[in-house]
Amino acid sequence: MKTLDLTVSPAPHIHCGARITGVAYNFFLALLPTVAFGVYYYGFDAIRVIGASIASAMIAEAVFQYIMKKPITIADGSAAVSGLLLALILPASVPLYLVVVANFVGIIIAKQCFGGLGASPLNPVLVSWAIIRVTNTWAGFLDFDLTLINYDTGFLLQYPLAVLKAEGSAGLAHFSLLDLFLGRQGGGIGASAIIWLLAGGLYLVVRGMIRWEIPCSFLLGVIVVAGIFWLGNSKTYANPMFHILAGNVMIGAFFLSTDNSSAPVNRWGMVVFGFGCGAMTVVLRAWSVYPDGVVFACLLMSLFTPLFDKLRAKQVLPQPVYPITPATISGTVEERSGQ
Amino acid sequence: MKLLKVFTRGLWNEIPPFRLVLGLCPTLAVTRSAEDGLGMGLAVIFVLACSNMLVSSLRNLIPRQVRIACFVVIIASFVVVVELLSQAFFYPIYQSLGIFIPLIVVNCIILGRAEAFASRNGIIASGLDGLGMGLGFTLSLTVLGSIREILGQGTFFGAEVMWSSFRPFSFMVEAPGAFVTLGILLAIMNAISKSHQS
Repeated sequence: MKTLDLTVSPAPHIHCGARITGVAYNFFLALLPTVAFGVYYYGFDAIRVIGASIASAMIAEAVFQYIMKKPITIADGSAAVSGLLLALILPASVPLYLVVVANFVGIIIAKQCFGGLGASPLNPVLVSWAIIRVTNTWAGFLDFDLTLINYDTGFLLQYPLAVLKAEGSAGLAHFSLLDLFLGRQGGGIGASAIIWLLAGGLYLVVRGMIRWEIPCSFLLGVIVVAGIFWLGNSKTYANPMFHILAGNVMIGAFFLSTDNSSAPVNRWGMVVFGFGCGAMTVVLRAWSVYPDGVVFACLLMSLFTPLFDKLRAKQVLPQPVYPITPATISGTVEERSGQ
Repeated sequence: MKLLKVFTRGLWNEIPPFRLVLGLCPTLAVTRSAEDGLGMGLAVIFVLACSNMLVSSLRNLIPRQVRIACFVVIIASFVVVVELLSQAFFYPIYQSLGIFIPLIVVNCIILGRAEAFASRNGIIASGLDGLGMGLGFTLSLTVLGSIREILGQGTFFGAEVMWSSFRPFSFMVEAPGAFVTLGILLAIMNAISKSHQS
């Protein structure tokens, strides 16, 4: 891989070892229990979708970079993580060509056309999912209740959000919060494994791969706005804990909305971003035609990321310009930034 | 020779929606199918060639200060002709194009060619320019419409062309599909002309 050679100082070169590949490996590690959950309950079909999704995301990236005569960077794992995340929010029965089309559109149009890793204004996973979701002729493939009817998982495979949409909160009596938390609900291959997603997400937060502000404020946004709806009319709208534990909220809070290039970088920007995602999720769940609104909420908020980045941004004082000599360069970062 | 160049310019070098990036409103809105694109293109060819020739023949009479208004009056009269003709003879296309036939009046290409070419050149050259630009526009719209129709509905000019188990990718006939297709075609055209230059 061709990199910019910016190293100008003499030894010692201290590097903590963090690379893009390392981030991707950590994501894989964090998602491993979720994948195991999906494979355990949906069997070979889950392996099929996950494998096809990862492979097509990597192939899409390689093909585009080959055509554009750019260095091929599929080895850094970012495309593979995108593919895996997309597979986890799809039902296990989805046909493979849909997965392939979604990944090609997402990776090429949403990621590579904007400059590749770190430059995309929207998370490619979200774009992939949104495009197949708005394709009316394919809507049946994403209907969890219809497509999961042939699986025997030992628990009631009903998509709680579709029930909520159809019957109001009265139809939710047979979903206990514990069942939802343990993943005993219909949904995507991995998106319903709430407890494992939570574990993986906390692992990533502890390792510093994702910032805690976004997931926390995301969940807070869901609780606050769902709480307002619920206090207003508890017959139609479900309680906040149900909203947290059903559908894509957990995977959205930890894995989808925290995409590095489409989320804000400042603390207050991240807080507002996450809160907005959570709030929009509940609003879309209550009033849109789709049962779940996580993906559309994250896409919408990503578009405002440049604005959120201006919230309470640290003021950068004009730095005195030093003449660049070996003596100034070899100092530590703190010395050079004039602290 | 010069006239030939004027004619062919609209087919590649200055092909309206892709090179000039003008007239995008009908380009994006009425290319749901190849048939709609072709119908829209033919209407534009007629209006563009006729208005170019009339503007060119009147170019010494039109006062400079009110030229845009005069051009619009000329264009509008031809658009009314097209609208009434299509209403009488091609009613299904008239219905599917809808508001976009009257909107040819404000199509940037037509006003642009009147202003940039017809008001400065002779009648024959202007007519050929309008014909060439119109053909280029028709070509682009038909190509765009074909791609979107084949992928989005599985048909081409209304005839089934894909295999029987094909589930159409209806995203392509929605509005965002138009933008995506236009962008990809623009990229391909730029790549081709770049490789010609080097």
